[in-house]
Amino acid sequence: MSYPVDRRGFLRVSGAAAATAALGLTSCTSDTSGPVTLSWWDYFTLDNFQPGMNRLIKDIEAGVPDVRIERRSFPFAELERQITLGAISGDLPDLAIVDNVSMNTLGGSRLLADLTARVEKWGQADEYYQGPWSGCQVGGKTLGIPNNSNCLALYCNTRMLKSAGVEPPTTWDELASAAQKLTSGDRYGLALSAIRTEEGVFQFLPFLWQAGGDLDTFRTYGPTALAFLDELIAKGSLSEQCVGWTQQDVNTRFLNQRAAMQINGPWQIPTLKKAAFDWNVVALPRDKEAATCLGGENWVAMASGKHVDKVWEVLEYTQRPSVLVPYLVSFGELPARKDLADRGSWASDPALRLFLSQLPLARPRQYGAHYAEASQAVADAEQAVLTGSASPSAAAGTAAGKIDKALGEQ
Amino acid sequence: MRQPLSLSARRSRTGYLFCLPGLAFLALFLAYPLLYNVWTSVHDVDLGQLLGGAERFNGLDNYRAVAGDPAFWHSVRLSLVFTLASLVLQFTIGFALALLFARPFPLGGLLRSLLLVAWLLPPVVSGTLFRWMLDGESGAYNALFQAVGLSALSHDWLTDPSTSMAGVVFANVWVGVPFNMLLLLVGLHTIDPELHEAAAIDGANAWQRFRHLTLPLMRPVSVTVLLLGLLYTFKVFDLVFVMTGGGPVDATRVLSLYVYEVFFTFFRFGQGAAAGLLLLVVPLLAGAWYVRRLRHEEEAPAGGAR
Repeated sequence: MSYPVDRRGFLRVSGAAAATAALGLTSCTSDTSGPVTLSWWDYFTLDNFQPGMNRLIKDIEAGVPDVRIERRSFPFAELERQITLGAISGDLPDLAIVDNVSMNTLGGSRLLADLTARVEKWGQADEYYQGPWSGCQVGGKTLGIPNNSNCLALYCNTRMLKSAGVEPPTTWDELASAAQKLTSGDRYGLALSAIRTEEGVFQFLPFLWQAGGDLDTFRTYGPTALAFLDELIAKGSLSEQCVGWTQQDVNTRFLNQRAAMQINGPWQIPTLKKAAFDWNVVALPRDKEAATCLGGENWVAMASGKHVDKVWEVLEYTQRPSVLVPYLVSFGELPARKDLADRGSWASDPALRLFLSQLPLARPRQYGAHYAEASQAVADAEQAVLTGSASPSAAAGTAAGKIDKALGEQ
Repeated sequence: MRQPLSLSARRSRTGYLFCLPGLAFLALFLAYPLLYNVWTSVHDVDLGQLLGGAERFNGLDNYRAVAGDPAFWHSVRLSLVFTLASLVLQFTIGFALALLFARPFPLGGLLRSLLLVAWLLPPVVSGTLFRWMLDGESGAYNALFQAVGLSALSHDWLTDPSTSMAGVVFANVWVGVPFNMLLLLVGLHTIDPELHEAAAIDGANAWQRFRHLTLPLMRPVSVTVLLLGLLYTFKVFDLVFVMTGGGPVDATRVLSLYVYEVFFTFFRFGQGAAAGLLLLVVPLLAGAWYVRRLRHEEEAPAGGAR
């Protein structure tokens, strides 16, 4: 068994490399001759993303001196896992575009390069919406740059609402009564995703926040949010099947007109534009507070990389309006920057405009390294209540214990 | 020492040489990962420590943490239920089908090969198929129930915690039956037809022949089939992962899914390794028992009919 020793040796070397990279500010790495090849990981595997991505990379290679990009993309659920495995095997990229919720796991792991000093010198932090920007701050350090942002809102089938004589709801009470009035036959009033993954939690957290709570007060406010959804199911306005639906499934329900309203994000707009019926988007109904959950991606640099300065040049370049706007437009995504609010397709498209107007209310899921366990506890509680196997207060109590343990363990 | 090696010693040395590639393969792809897993299971390893190289030896702490986690024991129970239910059903149905296919009938060969398709399909495909067929709203089974006027029986199979396990077992039985059938069929063919003839002449009816001839003679094959089934079923992952992802809540989170979750969702590598090794216990015990039994049988070659 000589392997563990070898492995430790390797870790010592890579640890030293990480430390050097962290101190890379003072050392100069940019005066190397010849082009630097940066490896780049993301999860944009779908065909419709490729032209925009390829153009961005071509742009970067033309605009940033001496840089070549070697891109690899993984399926969405694989990227974070691949980065973790890379940490073990030593095969990590120089930069990556990761889901904003990954900042919890990756941020607490010393895997990401500290960009604080570079960002301070850059001086554009105030141009970003507060939610996305604060989501990149971990333990007082800037570990990422928001690439694009999204959030959740309520889509309504215009004709169905009109024929039922219902206005788009703005409060929980209105949502409940609208959903009930819109339910008929095999059509449900509302569709949302309560699947047992981060996707379901992404959709649930707004309810918790709107009730006035947060993860650390789940015992108190969790039952309110859970009971509200439970009531929707009990009245038949929401299908119990939602515990198995992804957000894609939810959108399919809405597209097939088997749900009159749905909670979903702006990435569904291109699909919905092809629908044969009229729809509109409104802000998520509020209870004590108005809130929505922040989604989107962040740029991160790996601390183990040898070219953090070059990576920073690339990141800075991508944030220039002339590069960022066409890229975001081609991806159908929203900017995380306030100064871009009046440019690009989102300035004119009413649906995108609505989502953009909600970004200031969007909260990042920023709960530390053990968020995954808290998130799982929330998902389990929601599933237990919606499938009728536990009461809202009992489920919230069980979950609160696990959440407190996960969040307390930093 | 300087004596030239005897012929037999030289032979055995060549023998070891021939074994070398195999041994090297086993060492690299079996022993190393396994030992590495053991090493991880007694260290405090999570994502933060991977880069810093500061894994702390923590003895049995990981095992204690796993054993103290009610979710672990819940998943052990689920794994046992899943395995037991799958084995009993797969074996019974497989045996019945083997008896059917043991006698030639028109198109029997074709039907038999068609049945094998279920076993040949990748579990991800069969899982997706069953997920769709058992769907509450647009599933084939519910549509079937409605079509024959039994809509009272239609149900949200996979999203109701009380039936999701049954749904997953159902799919796994469908996958496993052809495998059981095939091996048992081979076993049936090894039984000398003259035995049946002789028994029939002695006046044994069909049931008696099955009970006192077929069953005892099939015992060695059955044990093998059940053991292989146990190994396959206990470590099931893909089928359940695709069908329910362990949900709703934790109704189908079998042991392998629990280990996966600790590893790749929570990134607690130490605890995951410990739980993974505990996952090995049941198949290992079953395997050891089987090997011992096999040795006994070789020593006493009387066969099944004792």
